[in-house]
Amino acid sequence: MSVAVAFGWRVKWASGYWLMLTLIALFAPVLAPHSPQMQDLAHTLQPVAWLPGGNWHFPLGTDVLGRCQFSRLLFGSRVVVLVAFLAALGSAVIGTTLGLLAGYFKGWIERSIMFVVDVWMAFPAVVLAMLLIVALGPSLGNVVLAIILVDWTRFCRVIRSDTLQLANQPYVLAARIAGASQLSVLCRELLPGVLPTLIVLCSLQMGSAIVAESILAFVGMSVGPAEASWGAMIAQGLGYAFSAPWLVLPPIIATVSAILASIMLGTGLRYAARTTSSRRVSREPER
Amino acid sequence: MIAAKAHGAPGRVLEIRGLSVDTEHAQVLQGIDFSLEQGRILGIVGESGAGKSLLSKVLGRALPEGFRVSAGSLSFAGQDLLVCPASAHRDLLGKRICFVPQDAQQALNPVLSISQQFNEHFERLGLAPGSWSAMAQDALRSVQLAQPERVLGQYPHQLSGGMCQRVLLAMAFASQPDLIVCDEATTALDPATQLKIVSLLRDLQRDRGTAVLFITHDLDLAAHLCDQLLVLYAGTMVEFGSTEQILSAPGHPYTRALLNARPALTGDWQALQPLCGQMPSMESLPSLEGCRFAPRCGQAGPTCQQPPSLQQQADGRWLRCCGGQWANAVTASPASMDARYALGLLGSAPPFLRVENLGQSDRVGRWPNRRLEPRLQGIDFSIAPGEFIGLVGPSGSGKSSLARILMGLKAPDTGRLWLNGEPLGVDRASWERRRQAVQLTFQNSSTTLNPRRTLSELLTQSLDHQAVLRSERKARAEALAQAVGLPLELFSRLPAQLSGGQRQRLNIGRALCNLPQLLIADEIVSGLDVSVQAQILNLLLALRREHKIALLLISHDLGVVRYLCGRVMVMDQGRIVESGDTAKVFSAPRHPVTRQLLRAARYEVEHA
Repeated sequence: MSVAVAFGWRVKWASGYWLMLTLIALFAPVLAPHSPQMQDLAHTLQPVAWLPGGNWHFPLGTDVLGRCQFSRLLFGSRVVVLVAFLAALGSAVIGTTLGLLAGYFKGWIERSIMFVVDVWMAFPAVVLAMLLIVALGPSLGNVVLAIILVDWTRFCRVIRSDTLQLANQPYVLAARIAGASQLSVLCRELLPGVLPTLIVLCSLQMGSAIVAESILAFVGMSVGPAEASWGAMIAQGLGYAFSAPWLVLPPIIATVSAILASIMLGTGLRYAARTTSSRRVSREPER
Repeated sequence: MIAAKAHGAPGRVLEIRGLSVDTEHAQVLQGIDFSLEQGRILGIVGESGAGKSLLSKVLGRALPEGFRVSAGSLSFAGQDLLVCPASAHRDLLGKRICFVPQDAQQALNPVLSISQQFNEHFERLGLAPGSWSAMAQDALRSVQLAQPERVLGQYPHQLSGGMCQRVLLAMAFASQPDLIVCDEATTALDPATQLKIVSLLRDLQRDRGTAVLFITHDLDLAAHLCDQLLVLYAGTMVEFGSTEQILSAPGHPYTRALLNARPALTGDWQALQPLCGQMPSMESLPSLEGCRFAPRCGQAGPTCQQPPSLQQQADGRWLRCCGGQWANAVTASPASMDARYALGLLGSAPPFLRVENLGQSDRVGRWPNRRLEPRLQGIDFSIAPGEFIGLVGPSGSGKSSLARILMGLKAPDTGRLWLNGEPLGVDRASWERRRQAVQLTFQNSSTTLNPRRTLSELLTQSLDHQAVLRSERKARAEALAQAVGLPLELFSRLPAQLSGGQRQRLNIGRALCNLPQLLIADEIVSGLDVSVQAQILNLLLALRREHKIALLLISHDLGVVRYLCGRVMVMDQGRIVESGDTAKVFSAPRHPVTRQLLRAARYEVEHA
């Protein structure tokens, strides 16, 4: 397709941030000065390098077990990136499939899917996620799975309402007359139509997945205690929040900026989609 | 009844001198110059993109962002509307200048009842609250709405489009304005309602001596209603004169082309001479240095390189043209055009599609009161290869339902269909057979095309589901594009990047991809400009010559039906009430519905 999309500053900044975060996650072993698990009991609770008593061996200081905070921050980005992308992808796949089916076929298919969604949404999200983690056992894969199982309903609802609108468009009928099967109508006519919404939803979902992961990590239900995760870092540092604020501030700043970037990505993409769809009709000489 | 109000220049309500509107890149309105006297109707005519609505937006100070008035004056009753303070301008709107917009249902507030909206209006006019309800009823009575008390209590969604338009007219006339601006006020209505609204406007205007600025793309309608006509092309005023002058002897080649592009309702059959090309877009205006019409003009000469000036002719009309003075007009000879598009193949072969006693009913109401309401009853007809049949009737008569049943999108309750001698059922094999033989094109060309697929993909959409080589598909797309007159450069365009005419060509091309025997065209040219409409009509005739396809044309425009179709069927309330040779039916209609349709098409006003 020959459509040039004009992205605004939001999209540029936010996607730049996520690119950087992904690169850090990939090259964490190279960039980190220490192993995130290595305990140095001789240097516990060291302040950040530029404060009195700190040194550049531990740029962001150490925690109560003498682990390098900087290295843990870098390794924690791996969890964030994996959770954000996999959870968004997973809930998008489940939610979009069911939403498209519900919106296009209507009737009992729609009623039953939407009933499941309503019941699902009536259940408190955090409790559901914790129940799942308790049942499945804490690990990165299970955290992603729990977030997907909690959040797919949002995708399903929004995609269904978009599909309902699109399915009424005469071009769907025109495709049927041109010989399209039901599956082909779903894939060729409806899916491309809901794609802009889907992209926006995905970027917002990245933000809420990060929040969900840090909540789970905070209550100790995310990855194991030895693994570095921003949520766990906040939880562990909270007890020393007044005596050693450098334990909580860096992971909090990192988490907030990651969520902000994903929200900005969503807003920016929505603007881009709007300007693309409302672009002026160009006229060319007709023969 | 005539509201005599103090005027600067007596009798002259609106005077526009040298008005120009600029954007950053181009002059989109150029030297508009006219005046409108009290009690007269001035029609502003032009195709889409001519700048008609821009003119009404200048009056209402509602120009879109980036547009500004760069020159000229606009005086209303002696006051220059362009320089007067905003509060003075606001005071005029709704009181002395009233606007009647195109979509009445959207112009009315959906959460307020009609009486509340009247009250708002009267409050603005500064009338005593005690008289409001009586005045509202009087106003509604003056637009011939039955039961004004009931209408006042209703909300806009409970009224039909025509009724909403009458309410707006009533509101406009209730303030006894000096000027009413109608911007395509009747375009969205069906012809019968349109005629009623227009004659109502005419009567009220005559009674009260109001001046009306009637903006429309429909030259016939304007000719019927207006005292004077102003023809706009690409933001320039090309001709301005009395209606009789312009209709009897159009001075500008564009006016002449517009008149020639309309299929006539009477007289001998004659091939239409479409204007080639289309209106230049706003972006391409700066590159048109000379006469803006020259690239499409059949008689353009070297003098057309210079921008022509507006000059008054001997007979009093104003004309902006410097090419050849319409003496050496070069036109395609009508005889050769007639031969090319002649109505051959008038159903000589045996019919391939037979419809017998078709009927369909809709379930209406909820369970205890549920009843069946017949939508179609006893439809019988047949179509032969190459036969063009017109299907006409008032709105709601079941034309579109019949089209959908023929296409197989709805199942009939009774009756049978035979395609090529075999009965058509509702099973999968029948659907495939039907799809190969019958294709449907819809009214609104923009919503029937997937906005995310390119022109070449859409043209060959029915090959999506067949094992076809990519090269073969490309060749098919090229052949189809050539058949429907779409240039190959547009192949990677999306529907939003095409013009209305191009989209309709694409729709027709897509339907022809598998070479169907029958094309059902549901209002295929309504909403297109006349010059584009003429191109599409001639395209259909050329396609019949080449491929021998049959056409079932659903249209409310009897001129179009007469131009294309050898046979016509008139529907009313789900039945075919009259059918036969188009020429015979139109010259000697037997059923009252047919007579009524013909009268509406000829703008014969029935006074209640």
